[in-house]
Amino acid sequence: MQSLWLLTIKNLKLLLRSRSSALIIIFAPLLIILLLGLSYNTSAQFGLKIGVYAADFNEDANSFIEILEEKEFTITKFNDLNTCTNDIKRSQIHTCIELPESLQVDDNQQKVVTFHIDPSRINLVWMIQETVKSKFNIKAQEISQELTGNILSILSETKGVLNSQQIDLSNIKQKTKDASTSASSVKNNLEGVSVGSDGTVIEGISDQLTEANDKISTAISEVNSAGITDDEKRDAIKDPLNEASRIIDDLQGNESISLNGVRDLLEQAAAAITSSTANLDLVTAALQEAATEIESVQSSLAAAQNSIESQKVTEADTITSPLITKIERISQENTYLSYLFPALLVLVVMFSSLLLGTTLVMIEKNSPAFLRNFFLPVRKITFITSIYVTNVILNLVEISVILGISLFFLKSSVAIIPTVALILFVTGSVFTFLGMAIGYIFSSEETGILASISLGSILLFTSGTILPLEGIAEALRKIVAYNPFVIGEKLVREVFIFNASLSMVGFELGILLAYAIVLFLVIWIIESIIHQQMTHKFMRHHHSSKRTRKP
Amino acid sequence: MELIKLTGVTKEYRKRTVLSDVDLSIEEGDILGVIGQSGSGKTTLLNLITGFISPSQGKTVYYTASNHEERDLNENLNRIKSQIGFTPQHNSFYPKLTVKENLWHFGQLYGLDKNMLKTNIRNLLNFTRLVDHQDKLAEELSGGMQKRLDISCSLVHKPKVLVLDEPTADLDPILQKEILQMLKEVNKQGVTIVIASHQLDCIENSCNKVVIVHNGRVKVFGSLEDVRRPYLRDHFTINVDPGEDKENLIKKLKAFPIKKIVDRGHTLTVYPEDVEKTMSKLLELIKEENLYLHDMHVKKPSLMEVFENVVLDNR
Repeated sequence: MQSLWLLTIKNLKLLLRSRSSALIIIFAPLLIILLLGLSYNTSAQFGLKIGVYAADFNEDANSFIEILEEKEFTITKFNDLNTCTNDIKRSQIHTCIELPESLQVDDNQQKVVTFHIDPSRINLVWMIQETVKSKFNIKAQEISQELTGNILSILSETKGVLNSQQIDLSNIKQKTKDASTSASSVKNNLEGVSVGSDGTVIEGISDQLTEANDKISTAISEVNSAGITDDEKRDAIKDPLNEASRIIDDLQGNESISLNGVRDLLEQAAAAITSSTANLDLVTAALQEAATEIESVQSSLAAAQNSIESQKVTEADTITSPLITKIERISQENTYLSYLFPALLVLVVMFSSLLLGTTLVMIEKNSPAFLRNFFLPVRKITFITSIYVTNVILNLVEISVILGISLFFLKSSVAIIPTVALILFVTGSVFTFLGMAIGYIFSSEETGILASISLGSILLFTSGTILPLEGIAEALRKIVAYNPFVIGEKLVREVFIFNASLSMVGFELGILLAYAIVLFLVIWIIESIIHQQMTHKFMRHHHSSKRTRKP
Repeated sequence: MELIKLTGVTKEYRKRTVLSDVDLSIEEGDILGVIGQSGSGKTTLLNLITGFISPSQGKTVYYTASNHEERDLNENLNRIKSQIGFTPQHNSFYPKLTVKENLWHFGQLYGLDKNMLKTNIRNLLNFTRLVDHQDKLAEELSGGMQKRLDISCSLVHKPKVLVLDEPTADLDPILQKEILQMLKEVNKQGVTIVIASHQLDCIENSCNKVVIVHNGRVKVFGSLEDVRRPYLRDHFTINVDPGEDKENLIKKLKAFPIKKIVDRGHTLTVYPEDVEKTMSKLLELIKEENLYLHDMHVKKPSLMEVFENVVLDNR
C-alpha cells in the first residue's frame, strides 16, 4: 500500500515538474471548457445581423424595423437589393428581408415579404428563419388586426345607417298606406258616378243635327229653285232629303228629353270629380313625401354600399394572413455536402497543418542531430523555412487529393479550384506556422501534439461550424471573427458557393497572409530563444549553483 | 601556426563566473586534451572554441587559412563554422537516415561541391570502415559504428579543427581504442583535434597537449612533457598490501620530511622533500622493522597523477 502511495506521489511529482506536459495535460481541457463556457454563457438573443431592403423606408417599413430591433438584432437598411444579398454572401449580414413597397393591404392581394437566406449556413439558416419570422408574424398580425378592425367598423356604420333608415321606411309605409286609403276613397267616389251619355256630346250632336237639318232644308230649296223640270227626278232628289230632315227632327225631338238627364248625371259626376280631386291631392302629397324619404333611404343605402365597397380586402386568406413570406436562396439549391464542403476543407487543412507543423518541428527538435544544426553554416531562417516548405508540399498533396476528389462530386466547381487552392494554401500556411510555434514552445512530442489538437479544437469550437458564432457572447464574437479558421472557411465558402472572385476575397486573404507573416516572425524569435535556452540548459547542466563559485 | 586563440576569456552565467581569464592557443596539428572534473568548465571551454557560446569577457579569435589574419570568432561565426567540426558527447545524426544520407545531408549543408563531397564521403566511408554499411539506417548501426558515423559527419566538410566532447564515453575499451586510433589518423591528415574527456588515459595516449581546467580556471596548459615536468621525480611509489604493514609504513613515513602521501589502496604515492634521501632511509627502515612490501619505484607521473596533484594543490 505504501509502495502504491509512493509511486503515485512520484508520478505526480514527475508530471508537475515537467511543466509543459502538466500545463497542457491538466490545463488544456480546463482552458477549452473555460473558453467555451465564457463563449456560450449568454442568454441574449442571437446576434443576428439583418439587412432590410425596401424601395422606400416609409412608416410601415420603419415600424417593421422597430419590431426587429426590439429583439437586439442589428439592422442595416439597404436601398439596393443586390448590395443586400451580396452582404449575405460576404457574411456581413445573416439575412436580407425584402419588403414590398407598402405593407398596407388594400386589395385581395397578400403582400409578399421575401427572406433572402444563405442555405450554406446550414446550422443557422433555420434558426434565422424561425427567429425573424416570429417577429415578422407580429407585424402580419398587426396588419390583420387593422384589416379586421376596418371591416368591423364598416359593419358597425352600416348597421347604424340601416337602423336610422328603418324609421324612414316606417314613415314611408304609413304614408303609402294613407295614399292607398285616399285612392280607395277616390275609387269609391268614381264608382258612384253613372253617366248615360256625354251631355256635351249630346249637346253637340243636337247642334249638328240642327245644322244638318238646316243644310238639308237649304238643299231642298236649292233643288226647288234649280228648275228641274222633271218631277220624277226632282222628287228623286227631294225625297231622300226630306226623309233625312224628318229623321233629324225625330232625333231632335227625342234628345230634348234625354239631354236633361245627361246633364244631371254630368253634374253628379262633376261633384264626384271635385271630391276625388281633393283626395287625389292628398295622395299626391303623400306619395311625394314617400318619394323624398325613399330618396333619402336610397342615398343612405348607397352610402352604406360605398362604405362596404370601400373595403377592398374581402378574401378571408388575405384578412387572416395579409403578409406572406417567401424564402429566396441566394445560391443554387445544393446538397448539404456542398454546403459543408468549405468547412470540411478548412477543417482538414487546419488539423493536418497544425499537426504536421508541430510534428515536423518536434522531429527536428528531438532529433539527435538538432545540436549539430547549430554548428552548421546555415541560417535559422533556412531551417524554419525548410520545415514550412515540407509542410507546404505535404499540404499541397493533401489539398490536391481533396480537391481532386471534390471535382468528381462537384463537377461544376472546376473554374473556382485555383482560387480555392490559393485560399487553402494561405490558410494552411497560417496553421502550419501555428503548429510550428507550438512545436518550438513545447518540449515533448506528446504534449506538442496535444497542444495542437487542443488549439485546433478551440479554433473549431469558436468557428461557428459546430455551434453558430451568433450564439456566443458579443465581446468574444468580435474576437473570434479573427479566428483564422473562421476567415478561411468564410473565404472558401464565398468562392465555392457564391463564386466570389479573388479580388472580392482579397481583404480577408490579406489578413491571413498578415497572420502568416507575423507567425513566421514569432517563430523566428522563438527559434532564437531556443538557441539561448539551449545555451542556458547546457550551462545549467554543466554548472549547477553548487559547483560554481567565484574565482 | 595558431588556429584559434582565447585571450582573457571569461564566461559568466547567471552572475556566476564559470570560466575565468582563460588564455589558450590551439595550434595547427595539435591534439589538445581538455580535462577537468565535472562542472569544472571544460565543456564550456569547448563551446567557446566552437563559438556555440560567446565569452562574457575576453576575446576568441581564429586565424584565416589564406593569410593568417586574426578574426573574431563570434563575429564571424558562419565563416568559421565551415572550418570547425564538432562532435557532441551524444550522437548527433539522423537515426532514420542511412549512413550515406547523413553524410550527404551534412556535407551539402556545408555547401560543398558535389564532386568534392562525393570524394570526401567515399574516403570517409573507407577510412571509418563504414563503406559496407553505407545504406543502413544510422539507428541500425552498432555503438562503435554510430560513433564513427558521428565523427564522420563532423569531418565531412574537411574542417581544420575537430572538437570532440567525450568521444569515448559509453564505449567499451576496445571501441575506445578504435576511436582514438581513428582520431590519430585524422590528425595525421592535418586536422587539429580538441578532445574533452574524463578518461585521462585516453587523453594521455592520444594528445600532445593538455589543458587542465579546475574551478573555472585553466590550471595547466602545455605539452604532455611540460605538464608532467613539475611532477617528474618528485615522488616514488610503494606497492603494498593493505593491513598492519601498510599502516606502520605510513606512520613511519610521516616522520620523514615529506610533502604528502596519496593512498590508493595497494599503492602509496609518496611526495618527499628529497626523493633519494627519503627512499634510502625508507629501505633501512623496512629492513629494521621487517616490513613486507611488493616493490618500490620511482616513475614518470601519469596524467592522472598530474591531474590529481593539480586538483589537490588547488583544494
